[in-house]
Amino acid sequence: MASIIINGQELALPEGEKLNAIQAAKRHGIEIPYYCWHPALSVVANCRMCEIEVGSKDPKTGEIKMIPKLVPGCQTPAKDGTVIVTDSPKVKEHQRLIMELLLANHPLDCPVCDQAGECGLQDYSYEYGQANHRFVEERTIKPKKDVSDLIQLNQDRCIMCTRCVRFTREITQTGELQVRQRGHHAEIDVFFDEPVDNPLAGNVVDICPVGALLDKDFLHTQRVWFLAKHDSICTRCSTGCNISAEENKGQLWRFKPRANPLVNDFWICDEGRYSYIHANDQHLLSSAYLKSGGNHTAVGVDAALKSVSQTLSLVASDGGKTIAILSPFLTVEEAYLFASYIKGLNSENVVALGPVPVEGEDKTIKPDMVNGRSGDTSFIVPRPFTIHAEKCPNRKGVSAVLEHFEGEVIDFAAAVARVESGEFAAVYLASDSIDPWDDEPIAKKLRAGAKHLFVQDVNVTPIAHIADVVIAGATFAEKAGCYVNADGRLQYSEAALPPRDGSLPDLDIFAILLGRMPAPVSSRDVLKELASVIPAFAVAASGKLPEFGVLIGDAETPAAAVGAGFQDAWTQHRGAQL
Amino acid sequence: MKLDNPSLKRVTPPTLNFFERTYLPQILGGLAITGKHIVSAALGKGAITVQYPEEQHVPSPNYRGVHRLNKDDQGRVRCVACMLCATACPAHCIDIVGATAPESWPDREKYCESFVIDELRCIYCGMCEEACPVEAIELTGFYDLTGLSREAMIFDKTKLLSVFDQTKDAEPMKFNAPPSGRSIDTTEITKTGAGPV
Repeated sequence: MASIIINGQELALPEGEKLNAIQAAKRHGIEIPYYCWHPALSVVANCRMCEIEVGSKDPKTGEIKMIPKLVPGCQTPAKDGTVIVTDSPKVKEHQRLIMELLLANHPLDCPVCDQAGECGLQDYSYEYGQANHRFVEERTIKPKKDVSDLIQLNQDRCIMCTRCVRFTREITQTGELQVRQRGHHAEIDVFFDEPVDNPLAGNVVDICPVGALLDKDFLHTQRVWFLAKHDSICTRCSTGCNISAEENKGQLWRFKPRANPLVNDFWICDEGRYSYIHANDQHLLSSAYLKSGGNHTAVGVDAALKSVSQTLSLVASDGGKTIAILSPFLTVEEAYLFASYIKGLNSENVVALGPVPVEGEDKTIKPDMVNGRSGDTSFIVPRPFTIHAEKCPNRKGVSAVLEHFEGEVIDFAAAVARVESGEFAAVYLASDSIDPWDDEPIAKKLRAGAKHLFVQDVNVTPIAHIADVVIAGATFAEKAGCYVNADGRLQYSEAALPPRDGSLPDLDIFAILLGRMPAPVSSRDVLKELASVIPAFAVAASGKLPEFGVLIGDAETPAAAVGAGFQDAWTQHRGAQL
Repeated sequence: MKLDNPSLKRVTPPTLNFFERTYLPQILGGLAITGKHIVSAALGKGAITVQYPEEQHVPSPNYRGVHRLNKDDQGRVRCVACMLCATACPAHCIDIVGATAPESWPDREKYCESFVIDELRCIYCGMCEEACPVEAIELTGFYDLTGLSREAMIFDKTKLLSVFDQTKDAEPMKFNAPPSGRSIDTTEITKTGAGPV
């Protein structure tokens, strides 16, 4: 068994993983500070913060030989017999020196800097730096500039770790950012007509360890320590990126990526990043409506649900059929409760898949080991990142539920055709789509084909204007539940916001219709139940999913992961939760 | 700070002797002070009550009354919307909306678009004043705060700035240090030894 000696202690190394000294030490709870190293980027060792004493132990004689100078930990492979020392006076003095040099020209503007609270410089200067500033010369003040419409570069705060430069070279392979000039005068810059506008551009803000690259959308609005973070899943496309939905004062402020080595690595696309804005929309449905005499009147959700439930029971007892249309924006749990309710009324009832929005084609960003690499790449296996054309989070999950109840997946076009033929007495459409579903001709066809039309949505859409009952459902930020992404990975998304006034989470709506209320339903209990009923979801039988989700059915395991569970120390929450 | 930190000093309370444990010396000492006040008031000198409102009480200089938002020499609000006062506030009575400063303010990049203090919720502890890095918020000696509704007691930026205009002559700003940030003079930092990042 391979082992590494850290600060005199012999510790085990994990099998079959290529780690550097920083990662190996972190597995055993020993922190080596760093700025420029990132597990998905090449190793350049230019910040010098992670320098440690390194040596090796002779396997035969047991003699330890140390390298006389300090060596960057990010470049040191953790092999059997590697000896590292991270807490000697020599290392500590070096860390203090590096902090002092990094801060020599750094402005004292933490109070107005958006990075404060999740800043590598703040954390490390507290832990490894010193309280006084000995630099008496005039500071070099570098200009502030815009590197794109959404990203601001505060060059005076930059520590030249070049993480952002390596990101645009190696991951997106667009190479917009580069270092200009040298030494004391070095600056990050773009060519004047080539802004950082690739589909993953926002990630340079996340990987910046200091407040140099800032998101203009979030700029000067909130302090990061006020934000409550919720582990969520992006619903903008079927990739299912893991995100942290950050909320304060009853609204979302930003999405940040969460590392999932099996889905999105460390990144999210800009389209997903800025999709949080839809949850803050002031014009979302804010009440349930009943149609009487051609006009809609706002009613409480209980009255609307009573009307739905009475009508559907009446239809069933008269021998009529109902079709439920489940949009791919519903969670697996909601789809299960909805389908069980509709099928429970009359086994002849039909459940079908709602409209699946598709925009353009899948975009895959494929980093490789050769292009754009500048430093040591031996620690990394780059993985492609795909932005799917299918702009909904859960087509696979809803389809799996439908397949169980119906034996096949009836797509939306087929459902509309059957409604048109007059087969159904009632249509119940549950949508919750992010962008309003505004296909008016099809809405009219659904209206003409059935006597009763019920719509459950978050947006005010053309079909809501002609429906008999309109129920306000939950946006992606207001619902908790599981989604199945394009690879067939089942992942849990936490609710970030409470339900809007006049609305109810869809899971509660279906539970009320099923008569399960007033006992509150939790998505975990429903997941447990559906896992025991639908064989495809059997892996979720405990109701709790593993950290990185779980593959359902017979989906294939994707390629090996990089830096599993890695998170920069400064973005981790410290201190008491508000 | 951890409990085993060597800079922490452990203090044990002094042990009391039998006489002290009866608490009689403390009781008698307290009664003596009360008696002194009774006697001096009876003789007509050193009365400590005032005939409010005919007579106005002047609080001590470190009295913590209604807040004010200070203005700089150009009449702009000093606040840079860092929200450290809102963070320090134990009563959660401060609400600030920050925004990017106008182009015409070269010395700062952020200012407060709205600054609201709920004076009814505030406990007047002065933590906001202590937390402020630019001496923008201060507690004045203004103590007779009344209002006819709860809404009237929620002070917005205009009102807090007007408190500054009313009190700036009677109570000049407590500290006249320049606002921190880029305009700070580096020689000043080395002299005082301050300058943590």
